Amino acid sequence: MILIEAGERTDRHFDAKLLLASQLAARGHPVILDDRTLPDRLERYQKYEAARFLADLDRVEVTRVIVIGADTIGQDTLRALRHRQFGPGVAVHVVGRFADRQAAIAAQSRAAYALGREPEVVDLAALQGPTLVANAISPLAAAPVPRPLPERTPQLFVVLRQEALEDPMVLPFLSAMDQVPGFRLHVILPGKGKEQVKATRYAGLSIFGLSELSPATFAARADIAAFFGDGVPGERMAALALDLMRSGRVAIDCTAGAGFVAAGAPALRGPEDLGGLANYVQHTVLVNRRQIGLQAQRSPWLIARSVEPLESALGIAAEPATEPTAEGDAARRIVFLPTNGVGLGHARRCALVAAELVADGAEPVFAAFPSCIPMLRAEGFGCLPLVQKSPDHPEDHANDLLNYLRLHRALRPGDRLVFDGGYVFDSVLRVIHEREIDATWIRRGLWQAGQLQGSALDRERAFAHVIVPGEAFAELNNDRGGAKVHSVGPIVQERALPDASERRVRRDTLAARLGTTFSELVVTMLGGGVAADRTAQLQAVAAISEARRGCLNLVVVWPGAVVPPGIAGWKQTRVVQTRDALSLCLLADLVISAAGYNSFHEILYHRIPAILVPQMAAFMDDQERRARAASGRGLAETVLAHELLLLDREIATFLDAGKADKVRAALSAATLPAPGNRAAADLILGEEAP
Amino acid sequence: MTNQPRIAYVLDPRFPGGTSAAVAGEIAAIRPLVRPEVHAVTSRMFTGQSLSPALAGALEAAGIDAAWDAPVIAADTVILHNPAFLKFDKTLGRRIVARDLIVVTHENFLRPGGADGFDVAGCLDRIDRGTLALRKTLAPVSAHNRTTVTDWVGRNGLPPGWSMAADDWFNICDFPLMPPTDAPRDRRGRHSRPGFEKFPPRAVLDLCFPRHAETNVILGAEVLMEDEASATHWQLHPFGGLDLPRYFGMIDFMVYFTAPTWQESFGRVLAEAIAAGKVVISDAATAAGFAGAVVAARPEEVDEFIRGFIAEPERYAAQVRLAQATLSRFSAEAFRVRFAAATGLARKAAA
Repeated sequence: MILIEAGERTDRHFDAKLLLASQLAARGHPVILDDRTLPDRLERYQKYEAARFLADLDRVEVTRVIVIGADTIGQDTLRALRHRQFGPGVAVHVVGRFADRQAAIAAQSRAAYALGREPEVVDLAALQGPTLVANAISPLAAAPVPRPLPERTPQLFVVLRQEALEDPMVLPFLSAMDQVPGFRLHVILPGKGKEQVKATRYAGLSIFGLSELSPATFAARADIAAFFGDGVPGERMAALALDLMRSGRVAIDCTAGAGFVAAGAPALRGPEDLGGLANYVQHTVLVNRRQIGLQAQRSPWLIARSVEPLESALGIAAEPATEPTAEGDAARRIVFLPTNGVGLGHARRCALVAAELVADGAEPVFAAFPSCIPMLRAEGFGCLPLVQKSPDHPEDHANDLLNYLRLHRALRPGDRLVFDGGYVFDSVLRVIHEREIDATWIRRGLWQAGQLQGSALDRERAFAHVIVPGEAFAELNNDRGGAKVHSVGPIVQERALPDASERRVRRDTLAARLGTTFSELVVTMLGGGVAADRTAQLQAVAAISEARRGCLNLVVVWPGAVVPPGIAGWKQTRVVQTRDALSLCLLADLVISAAGYNSFHEILYHRIPAILVPQMAAFMDDQERRARAASGRGLAETVLAHELLLLDREIATFLDAGKADKVRAALSAATLPAPGNRAAADLILGEEAP
Repeated sequence: MTNQPRIAYVLDPRFPGGTSAAVAGEIAAIRPLVRPEVHAVTSRMFTGQSLSPALAGALEAAGIDAAWDAPVIAADTVILHNPAFLKFDKTLGRRIVARDLIVVTHENFLRPGGADGFDVAGCLDRIDRGTLALRKTLAPVSAHNRTTVTDWVGRNGLPPGWSMAADDWFNICDFPLMPPTDAPRDRRGRHSRPGFEKFPPRAVLDLCFPRHAETNVILGAEVLMEDEASATHWQLHPFGGLDLPRYFGMIDFMVYFTAPTWQESFGRVLAEAIAAGKVVISDAATAAGFAGAVVAARPEEVDEFIRGFIAEPERYAAQVRLAQATLSRFSAEAFRVRFAAATGLARKAAA
């Protein structure tokens, strides 16, 4: 492993290490950072970026050490070098921009004293010439990024200083540019700039934080980048410009001091005024884009600052390789990643779509949380376990950092990722960007008022497709839509309905298995967990069932779910842990259910009489609307969680006054939309549904 | 006195280590011969540091007021101590006009293995450009220092008018001589300024200061205190954390190895220990400059040497006495002879 160290232990030095580590890793070099050099304060994005490089040096074999910023090599770094006592087989390079010969000698000597042997000195001033950024710590070498798909709409990234937002015309200008056909606009802002914009009516703009993605990831996503401000805006953006130019794309120097052009970089000199950029891009850049890129690639200035001479100086010259492309040779895999939400609805829905893919000969796999894994494995899918959030973790996103590492290792460029959930985790977003993943978001509809906005929609941009599984009733389909949003019919499990004799046989089998007899079967599946405490409702149904002669109440929960202990005291109520609730519902005279997407549609599509007790929480879908849409059509009844007396009456009405039969008949007569399982699978495979 | 040659010293008097101590010794030693001018140079190397206490004391005792940053330094003989003080400056920053310029090379020009010790070419060039002199001489301070200078000159050459002094411009070691103990014990120690160059790798330290030794005292041990303090059998003290008499009272053997990438140019710390009546053990290259006064050993031999001296106390005492006798080579009197010859004072006296 190649250990990257820095002369000092400042935040800036750590960020410079991160820059180089990302760059060398992208070139295929196995790089690590000493986890003991992690700064106390690290931006959230930096944690994700650093996570895959951090290593306990006691547990890895270091084969090479690269010390950047060695022109100011300090005591902490020297102490670490001395402490490690790297053997003679471990090459050590001290890398810096040395002001003069004495500076180089001093760096070499100091490292030599700590190491007990001589390091190799790499003087970037001699190797590369003057740097784009004064006092840059990272070597800032230009590396090619994967070629984009040829049909991609040009992606324009505009890099601004945070102070630019003080100009009241900046956001209107950006908003106007966002409407210009011919390119897609993205803005990179440092500091709190992103949050600042998201709090305005221009929240719809595509904004990235400056350190949100690595420069190489930005470069891979950009075709053109325009840099504003006084001069070159720091090492990260200098690295972005270098990678872009090296990749035959366009860097536009709009800085007041012409920082890039003045340094000799083959950047275009663009307008200093943001208002002039759209025209400049449209009429000067887009029409000459390829030629501009070729000219930049041939620039001697850029060649001197390319990554290959640096690799050679560091003794890590890579095999001559063709330019990396997003399309690898390996077969593209399809990986489903359902969140675990309140129940297992996301995983269940993904499994239904995955089953369609299996029927096509594909071999989808899952990255899933522990609660979903038994169900998915039972259905024959391979699973990469993800880490569940826990109050015992030191930070609320600690599990997501680990999940990021796992996903980053597991996914290859070009793989397909299907995410099902309401909130797109940072891990998912980063992996999509970094691994050039063809991503699909299965996003359930029926958002509560105010839910679908801000960061949720902002993250939609990372996905190639958004599949919105439809609701059974048109008025519930309220997704705002968009070019990449595809609505499909309800994704629902379909089973053949048992006829009367088969139903009778199965009920007898069930009675025998449970060691009881019943003439009336009620299935209660109210959900619960973090969303709500359903003890009162469960107790009420149990009490009602107890009073009914021949009634058996089955409380159906997922395996491992917590059930209130008081339920065990009822004679005519049993708790059943199963992943196949539908089989029991098909035998029931009445189902009392929450109105989650999967249960609701399974009930409707299998013509099961049901009382719906919607489960409501701020982060959940609007179950009450869903339930009332059905009950308003006479296809179910809605009873709110606190309406226990009404629940009592409705159970009696269903079972004693023929309402169950009436609802079953209404369901048989109802016209429901065709299920969307197949259409969703086709969209994932890149085939539009007819 | 008026016909005496004018002698001028040039140095940055803020050198914290051996250079200032050596010059302080010289000022005191040559008082019977001459009262030199002392030109203090404010170099960038010691920005923010203050005058060396040893040198300040010597100047005060000699009644000399240092002239700070004079634009012109004129004398018959100008003695510039340690050219390395110019390594961060662009120019000498003054003019030196002299018949003889003697540049005393306190720091090794090359490190073990041959890497440059500092930007020698740059420093010499700055001196050369700023000096008008008939002769310019490099004066090494020890045999090893001479070797590094000679090797560097062999590799890089010297500007016209420069030559090498035939004799070493040694450090004066006029320390009071203490008698050796007649019952040496396995009490080991080392002292030095803190700095990574002064310390060998951990494995060597473990050989030199083993758990089975009665005492292991390491003075100037900041490097170890911050990182390797887990060796509980070491008594670690920061630089200046013990006064030298107390420290020497705690040990019978000084075991001194440095980073393999660095070597003492003279080794005043070794001379101090010899004068304090201790047997000094060091690597062969360092020991070579002391003509038998320092016992040459490899780290893995240190134990055996110490056992031998403890078993034969009379040999221990003989070694200390021999070493102390050898120190007379570096006496003030010997230096005065060397100095007089180099500056023309000897000819003047003869006339």
